[in-house]
Order: sequence, then C-alpha cells, then structure tokens
Amino acid sequence: MANTAIGGRPARGALPVRRLLAPSSRGAALALFVARRVLWMVPVLFFVILITFTLMHLAPGSPWDKAGGRQLSASIVENLNTRYGLDKPIWQQFLLYLWNVTHFDFGLSYQYQGRTVSALLVSAWPYTATLGVLAFCVIVPAGIGLGVVAALRQNSRIDYIAMGFSTFGASVPNFVVGMLFIIVFGVMLYNITGGNYSLPVSGFGLDDHLIMPVVTLALLPTAFIARLTRASTLDILRQDYVRTAWAKGLSERLVVLKHILKNSLIPIVTALGPTFAFLVTGSVIVETVFVIPGIGRSFVEAVTSRDYPMILATTVLFSVVVAIANLVVDVLYVFIDPRVRLT
Amino acid sequence: MALPIPSAPLVQQQDWDVPEQVGLWTDVWRRFRRNRLAVAGAVIVVILVLDAVLAGLLVQIGLIQDPIKQHVELSATGPSAAHLLGTDELGRDTLSRLMFGARISLTIGILVQGIYVLIGGTIGLVAGYAGGRVDNLLMRFTDIWFAFPDLLFVLVLVSVFSPSLLSIFVAIGIVNWVGLARLVRGQVLSIKEKEFVESARAVGSSHFKIVLRHLVPNALGPIIVTLTFGIPAAIFLEAALSYIGVGIQPPTPSWGVMIQDGYQAIYAAPSQVLFPGIAIAITMLSFSFIGDGLRDALDPRMRR
Amino acid sequence: MRTIALGAFAVLATFACGGNTTGGSSAQAAPADQQVLRINDGTDPNSLDPTQQTYTYEAAVGRLTFQPLLQPNAGLTDVQPAAAQSYDVSSDGLTYTFHLRSDAKWADGKPVVAADWVYGWKHFLNPALAAGYVDPFFDQTIAGGSGYSDVDVKSASAIDSYLNGLGLSAPDDHTFVVKLAAPAGYFKWVASLWVAIPLRKDIVEQAAGGAFPSTDTTKAEAWANDPKTIVGNGMFKISDYTAKDHLTLVPSSSYWGGAPKLQKIIYYFISDGNTAFAKYRTGDLDMLNVPIANVDVVRQDPQLSKQAKLYPKLSTFWMTYNAKETPLDNADVRLALSKSIDRDKLTKDVLKGTDTPIQSFIPKGMNGYDSSLGDPQKFDPAAAKQLLQKAGVTAADLSKFKLLTRDTTGNKTVNQFISQQWQDNLGANIAVDVVDSKTVTSRIRKGQFDIYGPDGWGADYPDQQDWFDIFTSAACHSLNWGCVNMPGYDALVQKADSTKSDSDRNPLYKQAQKQLIDTANVGFIYQQAEYNLIRPYVQNLTITGIDDQYIPGDLYYHDVFISKH
Repeated sequence: MANTAIGGRPARGALPVRRLLAPSSRGAALALFVARRVLWMVPVLFFVILITFTLMHLAPGSPWDKAGGRQLSASIVENLNTRYGLDKPIWQQFLLYLWNVTHFDFGLSYQYQGRTVSALLVSAWPYTATLGVLAFCVIVPAGIGLGVVAALRQNSRIDYIAMGFSTFGASVPNFVVGMLFIIVFGVMLYNITGGNYSLPVSGFGLDDHLIMPVVTLALLPTAFIARLTRASTLDILRQDYVRTAWAKGLSERLVVLKHILKNSLIPIVTALGPTFAFLVTGSVIVETVFVIPGIGRSFVEAVTSRDYPMILATTVLFSVVVAIANLVVDVLYVFIDPRVRLT
Repeated sequence: MALPIPSAPLVQQQDWDVPEQVGLWTDVWRRFRRNRLAVAGAVIVVILVLDAVLAGLLVQIGLIQDPIKQHVELSATGPSAAHLLGTDELGRDTLSRLMFGARISLTIGILVQGIYVLIGGTIGLVAGYAGGRVDNLLMRFTDIWFAFPDLLFVLVLVSVFSPSLLSIFVAIGIVNWVGLARLVRGQVLSIKEKEFVESARAVGSSHFKIVLRHLVPNALGPIIVTLTFGIPAAIFLEAALSYIGVGIQPPTPSWGVMIQDGYQAIYAAPSQVLFPGIAIAITMLSFSFIGDGLRDALDPRMRR
Repeated sequence: MRTIALGAFAVLATFACGGNTTGGSSAQAAPADQQVLRINDGTDPNSLDPTQQTYTYEAAVGRLTFQPLLQPNAGLTDVQPAAAQSYDVSSDGLTYTFHLRSDAKWADGKPVVAADWVYGWKHFLNPALAAGYVDPFFDQTIAGGSGYSDVDVKSASAIDSYLNGLGLSAPDDHTFVVKLAAPAGYFKWVASLWVAIPLRKDIVEQAAGGAFPSTDTTKAEAWANDPKTIVGNGMFKISDYTAKDHLTLVPSSSYWGGAPKLQKIIYYFISDGNTAFAKYRTGDLDMLNVPIANVDVVRQDPQLSKQAKLYPKLSTFWMTYNAKETPLDNADVRLALSKSIDRDKLTKDVLKGTDTPIQSFIPKGMNGYDSSLGDPQKFDPAAAKQLLQKAGVTAADLSKFKLLTRDTTGNKTVNQFISQQWQDNLGANIAVDVVDSKTVTSRIRKGQFDIYGPDGWGADYPDQQDWFDIFTSAACHSLNWGCVNMPGYDALVQKADSTKSDSDRNPLYKQAQKQLIDTANVGFIYQQAEYNLIRPYVQNLTITGIDDQYIPGDLYYHDVFISKH
C-alpha cells in the first residue's frame, strides 16, 4: 500500500500516458525539449542585449569621465568617441553590435586599452570557474547533508547547531567573513607560528591559496541549501505514507530515505541552478578581497566605469550560463519526479 | 479493566472529515501559540518594531544618545562606559545607531519580501499551474529579467526618479524576485500532479481554490526559507546600493551600512562589524522561528 | 631680497629631501634571489603604453619601463638629465636642443636614436589616439601643436600633416630638437613627464603586422598588449603580467646607467586596503600605504610603528563652490563657509594625522608655498558668522544646498565631518549627497551641483605653472568646476606662464594665489601626506613629494637594494 503511494501512478488515465512515456520516445521527447530551449536562447539573448544596450546609454556619465583630477578636454572626448564608434547613431551602434556578436566579436574594452573584451574574459574565466566549481562541490554535499540530518533530527541539538550555522552564514556578508578568515588564518596564524606559516592572504594558486576563497564563497549558499533541504525534507517527512514506513523500522527507513531525498530535491535543484550560474560567473566581493584575477569583478567594474563592450559581453555570458543552468534544472525535474510534465 | 481506546486510524479518519474552512485561523493561531520558539520569535520582532518606532522618542528623552552626533576624537573604539557598544569611524554611538538603523533595515528587509511574494510568487504560481506555453513564456521572461545587469538598471532608475527610500525599495524588489518565482514554479509543477490535487479537480474545485487550499500550504516550507534568507539579502543589497548613493544618505544609519563602514576598521575595532551583524542575525532567526511555527500551524497533517 | 628668497628656498628644498632617503649603502646587500621589491599598486594600468597613461598607478609602471629626456631632481628644485645628457635653450626660449646619450640603449640592446624620439612624440600627439596628457602640456607649447583639437581624426592625411607640422626634428642621431610656439619657462618640466618617451617604429609596426595609417588606433597600440613587444628605454622591463593580479619587472641589462640593483619589482593590484594590510603583515609586501582606518593599529603596534613614516605629497585638497548658485557667487559667503571648517580636527581626528591642514593653494615642499597667504580662510567661526551677516545671508539660505560627494569611503567620511562643521559653526544644514563617481563627474562638468569636494590637485611636476590654469575661466567645466569670476586672473596667469625667468614668474604666481584665496574661489582644507610602511631592509629609497601615489620613491629605483635580513 505504502509502496504504491510512493512510486506508483494514478490508475485513472494511465494507459495513454504510459505509451507516450515509453523509453525510446521519452528520450526523443527530451532531446526535442532541449533543442527547443536552446533555440529559445536566441530571442532571449536578443532582448537581453537590447535592454542592456538601452540602459547603458541611458545611464548618466560617460566612459571618458575620470574619477578625479584632470578631466579630458572636449576635443579629446570627441576623438575618443570617434575611435570607439560612439559617434554613430545609437540604432546603428546596436545593429553593428548584433552583427559583430554573431561573429563572436565583442569589441574592444574601454578600460583596458587595445585589448579585446573576449580575450580579457577568456583569460580571466578559468580562475573564476575553478573557484566556482570547487565551491559548488562543497555546497552540494555539505548543504544537502546538513539539511537532511537537521530534518531527521528536528529540534535536537544538531538541528539547532545547523540553524545557528545557517543564520550566521546568511547574516554576515561575505566580505566580512573573508576578511575575518584572512585575519585569523593569515595574520594571526603568521604571528603564532613566528612567521613560518599562514594561509596565503591573496592571489590565486592551485594550492592552499584556494581554501579561504572557496570556503567564503560556499558559506552562504551552503547555509541556504541546508535550510531549504531541511524544510523540503520536513514536508516529505510529514506525509502519511512516510510516517507509516518510518515507524515500521530500519529496513523500511533506508528505502524511505532514498524516496525522501528524491522527493525533496525539486526545490533544492531549483535553487542550485542559479547558484551554480552565480558561482561560475564569479563573486565580485570574494574576488576583490582575495585578489582573484577572475571575471567576477568585471561585471561590476564594467558598469561603474561605463565600459560598454564589457557590460554587454558580461551580460551575454551571464545570460547564456543562466539559460543553460535553468535548462539543466528543468531536465532534472523530469528525472527526479517523473510526474512533472514539461512543455 | 481498561476501557477500549479509539485506535489511531479512527483519529485519522476524523481528520479528513473536518471541513478545512471552519475556524481555520483560530486553529492556526492556537497551534502557533503553543510553539515556544515561534512565540519567542514573534516577541523579538515586536520589540524590534517598537524600537524602530520609538527610537526618536528615546533620543529626545535622553535615554539613548544622538545617532548622528560625531565625537571624532573617539573614532572607531570598542565598547566603553560612555558608549556601550563603541563608536564608529566618526565617533558616533553605535548602540543608538543600531537602534535607529532598525527603521531602515527592518522596513526594507521585511517589506521587500512582500514585493517578492507579490511579483515572484504570482508569476511562479501561474507559470507552474498553467504549464505549457504560458510557463515557457513566463520563464523566458524571467530569464531576460534575471540576466540584465541590476546595478546598471538601478543607476538608470535612480537617475530618472530621485534616489529616495521608495525608489530603493522598488529597486530592490524589482531586481530580486526571480529566485522566488522559480522556486514556486518548481514546487507547483511537482505538486499539481499529486493525487490530492487530481481528486480536487475531479470533485470540481475551481482553480483558485485548488491553488489556495492545496498548492500553497504544501509549497510553503521552501518559500518561507527563501523569504527568511531574503531579509538579510535585502539589507545587504540596500547597503550596497546606498554605498553608491542609491538609497539612504549618510549620516542616516542602517545595519547594512554600519557593517560596510565598520569593515574599513575591522582591524581597529571588529566590534563595529559584529554588532550590526548580530542584529541582522537576531532578526533573521526570529523570522525563521516565526516561519517554522507558521508552517507547522498551517500544516493540515499536523493537527491533533 | 633675492638672496633671502634663495635662502628660504634652499631651506625648503632641504626640508623636502632631507630625511627622505631610507637606510644607506653601508648596509650589506642580500643575495640576488632576495633582491625583490613587492609593492601594492592598487589598480591595473589601463594601458602599458606610457603615452596613454594618465593615472599614477599606470605611470608607476610607465616610468620604469621607459625614460623621458629629463627628470626632477631629488630636491624637486630643478630637472636633471635622464635619457638626455644635457639640453640647451635658445636665447629666445623657442628652441630646445636635447643632446641624447650616446650609450642609451633599448631593452633589446639596440641604440636609442633621435628618430625614435620624434616617432614616439608623434605617436603621443596623434589626435586619433586621444592621449589624456597631450592637452595642455604639449599641444599648447610645441610649435604647430595648437590645432590638436581641430584635426579630422578620420582622415589620415589630415593627421599626418598635423604631425609633420609639429616642431619636432632629429638633425642627427643624438640630437632631438623641439621648437615651441611661444617661450615657456616650464617646458623643461613638461619634458620630464612619463608620457614623453621614444618609441621603436620597427617594433610598433611589426606588432601591428606592417605599416598602418595614422587613423588606425588599434594597430598603433597592438605592441602594448604583450610584454614581449614592450621594448622600452627604461631601467626595467616587464617580464610577466597577469591582469588584475600582478605585474613583474626585471632589470634591463642594456640600460645606460647600468642595470639596477633590484632583480625584481612586483606590482600587485590589490584594491582592498584590508587585504593589502594583511599581506604586509604576513611578510608578502615590502612597502604599503596604510589605510586611514588602520593608522592607529600601526601606531600602537611596537613593531609596525617603527616601519611607518609620514611622507608629505605635493597635493592640496579643497571644497568647490558653484558660483552659479546664489548666494555662492558672493565671495563673503564662500569665505564664511571656508572659515567654518576646523581643519585641525579634520586632519588630526578624522584623517588620523596623515594629512596637514592648509589654507593656501601651493603645497609645502614646492616653490610658491606661503602659509601666510592662507590667513583669510583660517578657521574662525565667529568671523564666519559675521561675514554671512554682512552678506545678508542666513543659515536657512544655505540649508537648501547639498554637498555632492563621490562614493568612496574616504570622501564620505570627510564630507560628513565637514557637513557637521557647517551645521555646528554656521547653523547651516548642508546635507551630504552621495552619488556614484561617473555621475558626479558628469554633473560637475555640467555645473549641476552646489558644493562639491574634496577635490584636489597633485603636482605633475614641481612647478607652479602646473597649478594655476586649473582656475582660469577657460577651465570652467573642465577643472574650474565652480566657475568663479576672478577679474584679471586669466591675464595674470598667462603672463606668468610665458615669462622666462623664475624670479620674474614667482611674484606673478603669488599674486594669483592670493586672489584665489582671498576670493575663496575654493575652500582649501588639507595637504596630503602618505603614511607608509616600509621594511627596514629596503635601502636607498629616495622619496619625493611627487612620487606616484602609494609607490614611495619610484622616481629613483635605480639604486634601491634589499639588505640582508
């Protein structure tokens, strides 16, 4: 009885649905779904570029305004505008940009003279991606594991510790966490060991340079995933069939645990999608505090210095990453909960 | 001899017979009250709100110090007799700034969640429930919304409308609702195929009733978590925006701004970062307890 | 009169350079692998081509990889030979003949010839490249240069005819001649700027893939994108560069003065002051500018306090009043505002003693400094209130104004203090208005502000000429944001700029300075100094007031070495 409730399908109207869901056509349906979503990326990208382009040119301040001191004279500004094609009418600039994008030409950066935006992003991305992937590998097991344990032992000491940890992770901004790590594991450790050892305070390296940035990066998402998992798991735990199976004893519990996990995964996977997108495109704060030469800072610096090509390129990059992440999440929905029907 | 005790299944059967509408809210309130943590959370929130409302009065009657009075000779000190929680970089009393900061931080942190629920919740609900083309269009719309640079959007917004508290409120709300939308959609997608929804549909309940009675209560858990985490996120976003001039202007305090300013002096006086952080943590924790309590109280399966 | 002036001058000069050299050559040098100097440059250069560099964090690199004809001497009293071993000025002051060093070589060993200088200066003055430092230093001085802003940058022939019409020539391999449009006593300083460097035509064209028209700015800069093609005539060359992380410089063995003692200079690009501070404290940086919030931490640390020292800079800061907003057009009102700022408190408490109060324009350590000139703006709240009364202005009239503030922590802190000062001393509620940096610049350029600050100026070179044209009426909307009307100022400055001898120029500049201060064109508040941590094993640093920001001694890195430690 309990088993039917967990893994079964409603008897009503099952037949025609079953035929559609036969393995081979199911794979084909999935492939079609993915292909259609990839095609949808094109209009999405078009609108993203259009909106960003408009916003960019509406924002006050020009790329040539300096942060202080001697400003460039009007004639120099004119020449710079000519040099970068900003003297053309806006609609022309937009169409030219779209044309270039289809050739993967994202233009020259205003901030870093003479260097192409794509070269800058390509050379900087590996650093960000490494940190992001490593952080993700910490978040998923730690977050989900903590959440499940806290749910299974609701209101116990472990639950309270987990809740305290996740509150801390969310209430202290990551620049504070990062700097506290630097102070404790950098400066204090250095003093304690008489100058012999400390965790490296800044820079990127495939060694202990990674520890502090990755942990700082992973802290808030882990806290969130843990609480999300806990809430989602608690919801499942309260279902009648689960309570019944749980009460039946150890052998039932293992089966139920697998089912609990599977069923509680939907909101977790939903949250992990954008989390992955953000991690892989970098955190401004972590990269600033730990001096990681990645692309995270490019997102913010491009806007504050009005580096138009860089703003557009980072936005396009982010859109693509997010679209892919959401596609993966939607596909995972189907695998986690076969009852979910997608278009 | 013991009298026969009604067996468990009998109780469960009784559960299903109780119509969900009668005395719902009194029942919810009663169950909420029994949850000690939830009540503690509610009490703390009430205290915080009172503090926010009365802070000005307290300064006038001299109970706490003036939050914008500078004592520059006492820049960035830790707790002392004259200043219980220390001073900031311009020598202003941290305790009073914390108490005043509650106004901005609580207002933005909490009320913005309302915008998220309104916009994000609605879109997610419609997308998940309707499915098909509507879902696709709405999700692609959120993809577009999610992707364009928020900072740029806010800068333009503020240049068009002046940088008042309302504009920052709108800015934060408009910018971050996508996460909740997606979460709600995911929940709805999985729940709407469940048996009890099918049975409700078979019985002929309207879409609205199905949404309200079945989908929302079952999706509540993760939504509450998202909103709870949204509070500190909104506070920090407000601080980040105020930093670039979008939002409150100095010397008005807010907890997020206090943390940012205190960060500069983190070596000299780490307490300046600690105290606002604790305030934010307490707020978040209180709402976590309230949220948990609310969810437990609303859960039809937990009725005794 | 003259002797006294010279004497006072000499005293100033000694003050400027005395005690600013660290260590001594008597200390023993550490082994070669420890001759590494690690510094935080803060921000990546936007370009590695010195002609395109405008910020100090870029010049810090440009100065080391290339070398101009002349450079300031350690006392900042005059220029001394650098890439040129001597120079003559014709009697009419219009022709500068630079005699280049015969042993000057590029980093790849080839000799530096005068044609390289002509090519380099022409590259710099190409209007299509729109280099920030051309105007007004070069286009207003060199013969044929004044048409810079009118050249049609889409036409290669227009650009070429402009460039060929400039007064630059190379009569032989070791003579570089510059003709000026009018005499300019300060031109020797202009020639010492880091932007005025030679370039190798063959390398530039090779990196561009062949010869290219003057309109092609991308090709003109291609060489600057790769350290391998950045071949300079300076004492260092770039060995590797990771954007946003660090840049490494190694000695150029073919430098005419012999290879520098340091084997490596590493510039890190750490923008977070706390991270840089931690890096210094864990032994990974050798010099560091201490962020203001951490100054007390350093002072109270027994070890760190011994390594820290205050180094005055030739930079002054002030508050700008927009004369288009009544009643700020009234000099008495501006004076009142300037007289209600307690500069002592500002520098001692808010800025932790890392800057010094100033009420005059030219900073201490430079020719033209005169603190007595600043008396009209001295802190005097009672007099300030009287001035307001005299002008018939009430505190309420002033309370409609806002103090435009850039979104940096330092500016916000200073402006909150100043706003409070105006509240306390005048009763005027002038609220702080924080706005993002680009928008601030765009607004002040359009005159859309009431009061703005702190704005400031750091000397490009230690000559007064560099300072006074900030406030000419022509500079209204490009530097003279307040557009205050000062009758006779423009003519005075122009006369001083074109006078040849220092003794004749200085009194004219003094008059101009007096006018600035008396009319409170702006309210001067402090002169900047840097509170820097320097390891005791860094020897022979020669620190001047115009060193690039946060890079002490970078005008004279040749003899710096690391001693045994």
